[in-house]
Formats: sequence, structure tokens, C-alpha cells
Amino acid sequence: MGGADRIEQQHAKNKLTARERIDLLFDAATFRELGLLAHQHTMSGDAGDPDRSPADGVVTGEGLIDGRRVYCAAYDFTVMAGSMGMIGEQKVTRLRHKALLNRIPMVWLLDSAGARIQEAAGSTFAGSGALFYEQVQMSGVVPQVAAMLGPCAAGTAYIPGLADFVPMVKETSSMALGGARLVRAATGEETTDHAMGGSQVHCYVSGVGDVEVDDDAACIAAVREYLSFFPSNNRETPPRRETDDLRTRRIEGLNKLVPTNPRAAYDMRKVVRRLVDGEHVFEIKPAWARNIITAFARFDGSAVGIVANQPMFKGGALDIDAADKAARFITLCDAFNIPLVFLEDVPGFIVGTEMERQGIIRHGAKMLYAVSEATVPKVTVVLRKAYGAGYYVMCGRGYQPDGLFAWPSAEISVMGPEGAVEILFPKQIAASDDPAATHQELLTTVRRTIDPYIAASWAYVDDVIDPADTRRVIIDALEGAATKRLSRPWRKHGVRPV
Amino acid sequence: MTDVKAELVGNLWKIVTEVGQQVEEDDTLMILESMKMEIPITTPVAGVVKAILANEGDVVQEGQTVAVVEPA
Repeated sequence: MGGADRIEQQHAKNKLTARERIDLLFDAATFRELGLLAHQHTMSGDAGDPDRSPADGVVTGEGLIDGRRVYCAAYDFTVMAGSMGMIGEQKVTRLRHKALLNRIPMVWLLDSAGARIQEAAGSTFAGSGALFYEQVQMSGVVPQVAAMLGPCAAGTAYIPGLADFVPMVKETSSMALGGARLVRAATGEETTDHAMGGSQVHCYVSGVGDVEVDDDAACIAAVREYLSFFPSNNRETPPRRETDDLRTRRIEGLNKLVPTNPRAAYDMRKVVRRLVDGEHVFEIKPAWARNIITAFARFDGSAVGIVANQPMFKGGALDIDAADKAARFITLCDAFNIPLVFLEDVPGFIVGTEMERQGIIRHGAKMLYAVSEATVPKVTVVLRKAYGAGYYVMCGRGYQPDGLFAWPSAEISVMGPEGAVEILFPKQIAASDDPAATHQELLTTVRRTIDPYIAASWAYVDDVIDPADTRRVIIDALEGAATKRLSRPWRKHGVRPV
Repeated sequence: MTDVKAELVGNLWKIVTEVGQQVEEDDTLMILESMKMEIPITTPVAGVVKAILANEGDVVQEGQTVAVVEPA
């Protein structure tokens, strides 16, 4: 590392050093460093000064996390601001190759000023860029985590852009395609790295970050926890974690969390928590697109991805960000054999001019695409509303869930009774001597047609269940589909909406 | 001063606060009716309600400032 002064500066910024982070990341005494003796060389080919760039600014190696092997590249801000130099990048390249070859997850601990310009300036740039190409080849083969523990400026911000999971430390981390100085030079805009690309932007507004954490230790803990839900590669299944939580545990009063007034909001997080093993939930993007919840949890010891509507925000109605968030999460789970559980209470996609201008059709199509493409076990429970295309994207009957269950309060319909009456019967209401009474009558008539027992009587839902049995029903259905094998016609790849 | 904004387009159904009222973070100030749901508009900060910028029955747009809260 870059010496006592630099380490002190690093600590003064509330940041740990690369090696302290590695100690926290891996099981005790399991890390083996690769490339310790590497350092910067001069452009003329001389050996250069080894003390100038210890390990060339990036600590690379392998170790065990919960007993499973993981490769890690930890950029060392105490050495030339963690800048990405030619030799250091050779080390990281070697790790990426090994990760793909051996089917082992890759973790980047990012704290870097970006490319070392003195080594990269000029048209030798023409030969660069393979790191992103390689990340794309790794995508869906091995888990990729980019932990943001400091700056990550310029093109290197595509490392988190292409990674599966991006935790960000509050205050100290940032990412942007151009750092503040470059922005000033390019466009004249005055900003700071933090204002432009801190966690308050990426975990709340842009959706590039997955979780905001308070400090380095919490960030590393998030990485370890995230990986605990994942297999080492796409040919394996996620590790089980034994639990004392009974698979048949009844949850009395679960339905009480859902208001009987179909217009009223409530916090779906409470429902999710009550259902899963040990009430333990690891939410992805909790502060962005809050009208949908995406989270990892376990049912009877097995990892699952949960997609749940959140009536607390925007009434649970879907918009472009919610569709993007869910589509990305579904694709991630499907890539790594993590079954999906859908908890549905959705009044539909938000409609209107603003939504169309934002391209809701294109974004909503991503969610349709992801849920259709997913071949992992899928279980859907309809708690209350399941209206229109909202029912489809939340893995309705047409999307081949392995179990589709409804609470007695479920309302599966192309739209709600109020909307249906307004659209279907405006003439009757206008012609009536007592429009209010007619409206009410029609509402009652339409409402009678929206009933989960009707859907069940047509065999469109598998069962109407006692809400208190939801946990057991989900576990049984997931277990029943564990041996699922689904083959599709050959194609190079579909044309995925983006 | 912190602007309280509508999260989505809808009909402002009820105002459940008044100017001068003390509020806690996440308190509901208004209820929007949209997508046939009652959607609470909450304050992101604790403080005092300084202004209410819409009336019951108004259609408000996504991102429209409907109240102003002076943080405590």
C-alpha cells in the first residue's frame, strides 16, 4: 500500500484500506493474493520504481466466503489514488479470465480515480476496453458484484453498470461516466463527484445502485449476504441454509395486514417479512421504484427472489422504473436458478400522457419479457388486486406459474369495478332517472363478477387459499417445481425490449 | 424549505393537514386518488407546514409541488 500517511488519509475519510476490506470480505485466513509483486513500469520499458506503485494499485486474489471460493479485485486508493494502470489491469484481467474459466464469482471493491491517464492517453487507447466485453461474457455465468467504496469515475463506471449487484457507501462513494473535472471541461457544468453520482443519486433516483449502506463494513457485509443467496455459477443451485422456521407455520392475521377497503394502501413489506424464513429479507433497490419490492429471502431453507407490489407507494401501480426494476431482478434470479415468488396486489400500469411520453409500453414490455423468459420455478399469490396487464407481468396464468393461488380477497380482472362501470355503462347511467342509484346497481353487478372463486371454477387459478396457510402453500409449490425442466425452441437470442 | 410533490398524476381527494401544523417525517398531508387507489402524499421531512398549494378536487401532475414544509 501507499505508506502510513496515505493510510491515515484513507482512514480520515472514513474509509478502510483495500487490505482491511479484504480481511472483512473473506473467511479468516483464506485469502491468497495474486500479483503482489507487480508494479508500474515506465513507458520506456525500464523496471521503474517498485515502491512507487505497490501491487500497482490493486490487490487481487482469491479466498473463501462462507466456505465458497470468490475472486476479488480491491482497488487501493493509497496507491496513485487507486488509478487503473496497465500492470494492475493485467492482474484484474487474469482474475476475470479465471472467474469465467473456473466458474467462480467475481467481486470488485471499487475506490479508484479511474484510468491512469499518463499510461492511457493517446491513440494506444484503440486497444483498450476489453474489460467490459469480458464482463458481458461473464454475465449470467458467474455472479458479479461491484461494491462502491469510493469514487469510480469515467468509463470505469461501467464496471458497476455491468455488474449484478452494486452496494454503495453513503457519502464516500460515487460513480459517474465523467468525473466533476471532466464534466467542467466537456460541458461547462459545475458539480462535484458526490452531488453528481453519490448514493443519494444512484440508490434513489437513477436506480444504478442497489443498496445504500452506512460504511465500508456494512458494504462488505452486504456483499457477503448477497452472495449467500447465489450459487457459484449458473450450473449450480443456490446453497441451502437450514432453518428452525417450520414450513407449515400458519400466519394467523396475515390477511389483517391487507385492508378490506380495496382503495386503501398498506405496507407489503410486512406481508413479505411474515412469510419468509426467520422473517429475514434482503431487499434490492429498496429506495428506488418503491412501488414494487424486489428481495431475496428463503423458504424452508431455499433461496428465492420475491417480486411484490407495494400499495404504499403510487398505490402499487406500475410505472417505467418499477417495470425496469422487476424485469432486471427476474432476469437475475432466472440466470442463477433462484426460484421466483410473486405477491400480487396491483391496480395496473399507470396510464396517461406522462407515462406514454416516458415509454411505458417499452418498459412494461421488459417485464413481460423477463417473466415469460424465466424458466425457474415460479409461484404467484394474488392477495387483492390483479388488474389488467399488471396481472400478466406479475406472473398470471398465461405466464406459466408453477402454482397460482388466490386469497379470498383477490380481485382478478381486466380492471376494477369502478373503471369498468365508467367505461361500459356511461349511457345507462346518463339515461337513468336516478344516476347515482343506477351507478351503484351497476357497480354491484360488476363487482359480483370479480371473485376468485369464479376464476377457480374455470380452473384458471389452482386454489383459493386461507391466507394463514400462504407460507406452506408457497413452499409446497416451490418444492413441487424443483425438478422442472423447460426446453424452448432454439434461437440465438430473443429481441429483448430495452 | 422542502417541497412536497405528488408522485403521480391524480385527483387530490382530501387534504388532511393545514398551514402551521407540526408534522413528523412520513406523515400524510394529503390523499390523492389515482388508479382507483387512495394514495397518501407524505412529507419527506419533519417540520411545520408552510403552504398548501392545491385544493381538494384539483387534478395534480406527477412532480407537482402540492405543499411546502419548513424542516424542523
